[in-house]
Amino acid sequence: MICAMAMIGVAILHSATFTNPEEAGLPMRQATRFGVAFVVLLVTAMVPVRWWFWAAWPSYLATLILLVGVEFFGTTGGGAQRWLQIGPIGVQPSEFMKVTLTLALAAYYHKRWNDYSGGFLIHLPALGLILLPAALIFRQPDFGTTLALFASGGILIFLAGLWWRVIMAISVAAVASIPAIYFFVLQDYQRERVDTYLAQLTGQSVNVMDDGYQIEQAKIAIGSGGWTGKGYMEGTQSQLDYIPEQHTDFILTVLAEEFGFLVTSGVLVLWMLILGLGMAIALRAASLFARFAAAGAVATVAFYILFNVAMVLGLVPVVGVPLPLLSYGGTVMITTAACFGLVGAVHLGRKDPINTGA
Amino acid sequence: MRGTRPVDAMFNRRAMIAAGGGAMLFGGLITRLFQLQIMEHERFEVAAAENGVRLDLAPPQRGRILDRFGRPLAAHRQAGRVSFVREQSDDIARLLSKLSDQIEISPEQQARLIRDSRRHASFQPTIVRSELSYEDFSRLSVLAPSLPGLQVEMAPTRSYPRGRDFAHVLGYVAKASETDLVRLSEGANAQERAAVRRLFKHPDMRTGRSGVERFAEEWLRGEAGFRKLETNAAGRIIREFDDPSLAPKPGRDLYLTVDAELQKFAIDRFGKESGAAVVLDIETGDILAFVSTPAFDPNDFVNGISSADYAVLRDDVEYSPLYHKAYDGTYPPGSTFKMVVAAAALEAGVIDPNERIYCPGHYRFGNNTWHCWKHRGHGSVNMHWAIKGSCDVYFYEIARRMGIEKIADISKRFGFGQRWELGLTGGRSGVVPNDEWKRATRGEPWYEGETLNVGIGQGQVSTSPLQLAVMSARIAAEGKVITPRIIGEGPRPESDIPFDAPLDPEFMKRMKAGMYGVTSEAGGTALRSGDLGLGGPRLAGKTGTSQVRRISAAERRSGILKGGAIDRRLRDHALFVAYAPHDDPKYAISVIVEHGEGGSKAAAPVARDIIAEALRLDARRTPAYTRTASLGGSGGAGGGGR
Repeated sequence: MICAMAMIGVAILHSATFTNPEEAGLPMRQATRFGVAFVVLLVTAMVPVRWWFWAAWPSYLATLILLVGVEFFGTTGGGAQRWLQIGPIGVQPSEFMKVTLTLALAAYYHKRWNDYSGGFLIHLPALGLILLPAALIFRQPDFGTTLALFASGGILIFLAGLWWRVIMAISVAAVASIPAIYFFVLQDYQRERVDTYLAQLTGQSVNVMDDGYQIEQAKIAIGSGGWTGKGYMEGTQSQLDYIPEQHTDFILTVLAEEFGFLVTSGVLVLWMLILGLGMAIALRAASLFARFAAAGAVATVAFYILFNVAMVLGLVPVVGVPLPLLSYGGTVMITTAACFGLVGAVHLGRKDPINTGA
Repeated sequence: MRGTRPVDAMFNRRAMIAAGGGAMLFGGLITRLFQLQIMEHERFEVAAAENGVRLDLAPPQRGRILDRFGRPLAAHRQAGRVSFVREQSDDIARLLSKLSDQIEISPEQQARLIRDSRRHASFQPTIVRSELSYEDFSRLSVLAPSLPGLQVEMAPTRSYPRGRDFAHVLGYVAKASETDLVRLSEGANAQERAAVRRLFKHPDMRTGRSGVERFAEEWLRGEAGFRKLETNAAGRIIREFDDPSLAPKPGRDLYLTVDAELQKFAIDRFGKESGAAVVLDIETGDILAFVSTPAFDPNDFVNGISSADYAVLRDDVEYSPLYHKAYDGTYPPGSTFKMVVAAAALEAGVIDPNERIYCPGHYRFGNNTWHCWKHRGHGSVNMHWAIKGSCDVYFYEIARRMGIEKIADISKRFGFGQRWELGLTGGRSGVVPNDEWKRATRGEPWYEGETLNVGIGQGQVSTSPLQLAVMSARIAAEGKVITPRIIGEGPRPESDIPFDAPLDPEFMKRMKAGMYGVTSEAGGTALRSGDLGLGGPRLAGKTGTSQVRRISAAERRSGILKGGAIDRRLRDHALFVAYAPHDDPKYAISVIVEHGEGGSKAAAPVARDIIAEALRLDARRTPAYTRTASLGGSGGAGGGGR
């Protein structure tokens, strides 16, 4: 089953590199990265799920320390301080955090639910586990990753049985706090993006030079694709550099323009199947840790896909969220591979109940 | 085990809910995709095919550059242009051969144009010729409808109405190269980089390559907008919508402190000679003329200069027209440096101005003999006589008495050894040598004999014409700190002028008296240039000769001292620094005539005529722009710039 997933990944990558004639070197480099990511996936999957359980807390703490390190020693790239230079390689601890947070939450709930059941208060420490790294990452600033942590962490808390009325209360509070976040938390450029988003949703003319331009051109690219697309390398929007970041965050526009609705929605369905498979694995696992870990991994990837596609389709504001496996870029590829690897590990170790001896 | 505990059941239930929610979101996205791709397909297809309304990037109009009285130095004009669009023509080769019936395009050029057109997107025009004559323009306009893909239109082009006069100051604009693009998008994020790239790839967009055009790029550029166009299926523009919200914002005008008329006069006055001149307003430090001649015509660069034409400019090493001699050129200052040496000696207290030193025509130091330009010698001279007669022996002696460090210190207070930041590209600091400098650059200590050479402005010391003008302005202003500036209204250059201690006014009065003596008293070296021909005001100045090579002892014996027989390139440069009127100084000037030999013969008359013209034009009168920063004294900060 891991193999099946990997094959699908390769197929999608193939189409990505195919539709991505940008700079000539990129597809090759992307393929190399996929090779590395695939190894990561296999290794992650081979590690017994029990080991992941033991590693959950140490790795969470280690990543947290790295994040604090970024705060003080991080290098700045593209306006945000995200990278930590360790020797010759730069790492982005915020990416690791997506995996380790899932592990930590899974381990936490595993222990909690084996010791004791029910109660509202057991969710508060879990919330703390999310908030701590989220706050650090928000400071970098990396809005996309912050959201990702909240989304996957939130799903886990939800799965762990947070009471419905609490969920309702939080939803209401969240909606109510949107204006406050807009005015006090967001930075100017982030606020601009939200403005642009609202403007284009309501059909006003937007500042065509900036984000509005990107979204407008993306919509034209997608919309002009039709049922079957314009054919490989024939997308006028894509080939003429209309869309900034079309090989990274906006890769979907290339797919949609050149291959049309059928292929694009097919790809989305494929993603659904992969994620569904992941959820099925989560349901079948014996130990709570394994179930939470797999569900969290699936939620992380699902968040990426849903948010990226919604962003490209102009449904949510432009936040730098890449599309797993399709977008050009190494880190998200590794994160995705690790997530799937984790699901794979859960699958292989599905019979292990992980009795911690408590 | 699975599902046996209540928590497992709950997990399963909730997982199903979450999965269902996720599936609904996916469904939503696919619906949206369907909406965009299928339901609104036609609308977007139209947009994509650029049928109907399309938005074309419209580059902003670049700000003008004006002289102090608002005369345009860099502006724009409409120029007829013919181009073709690859995707609209089914046979470009045929199109070009048809075109070559009307205007001359060689087969090689046709091949190159076809190659060029494949380097960019097929919908972007490839320019065949940018400067169509009126006749060509009208003939081609008639032809255009019969040749799909051919575009004949008027397009704004940067123009430099004063041609060569301001070539080095203004610099020029050109199409952005890859290097330019990297520079222009420095520090930008990926999205901004894409915007910069898109804008500068536009055929009408230019960027400043040198001079003020480059320094003030952001000030002049403005903001890009869009043209809303309706086009037919062939891409021909049917009509243009007027949408003020999309219009590009033009760049801002920029005022220079120069007077275009004075500049032109100065350049004409040089005639065929090569050289440089700088005229300063003594009160404000405004540069009124900044001449380097011969020059090139920046208009030639706007649409790309041919490599053959460029080679001619580049390879002319004797006259070096590309080189900004007034700012980038550094020359030994020769005897114009004697005021600095004299002032240093007074400050150091090594001489009383009335003390007389005997000049027999040569000076012995160690085992060597230094010569005075006047072989018979000046006899016994005090400081005043030494300046006006330019007695070398006197300056050997006082230079030796105080040593190089004293000279170096005061040189810096005159503004030597530092680059004046004006807001132009280039600019050189020259060299104020001392022991530390020599150890750093040559790895050996300073020798006292070299001090003697520096005492008469030869040897290691080198200065730019701008620095010499600042020096004479500071003397004329009796030691006040004068800071040169050329941008009147525009982005302020950030300057950190390290040496701006005022000079002793009493000493400066002595220097002024000496310079007056040079032009107006018996024994002066430039008596013929003292009268400005304006019936009254006189000029005070100092001659100088900048040695291009040493005269050998053998030549000295054989009597070839004057360069009539010497190749032009080996002849000395003629220098003159001056201010006027002597009794109420308003203008300071420095002039260098390359290979002009004698300062009094070649440079002084040029300087006199230019400064007289400045007085006649009243070049320093109130400019057309409003001054925004504090001027004079402390140098300008703040105001307008970024």
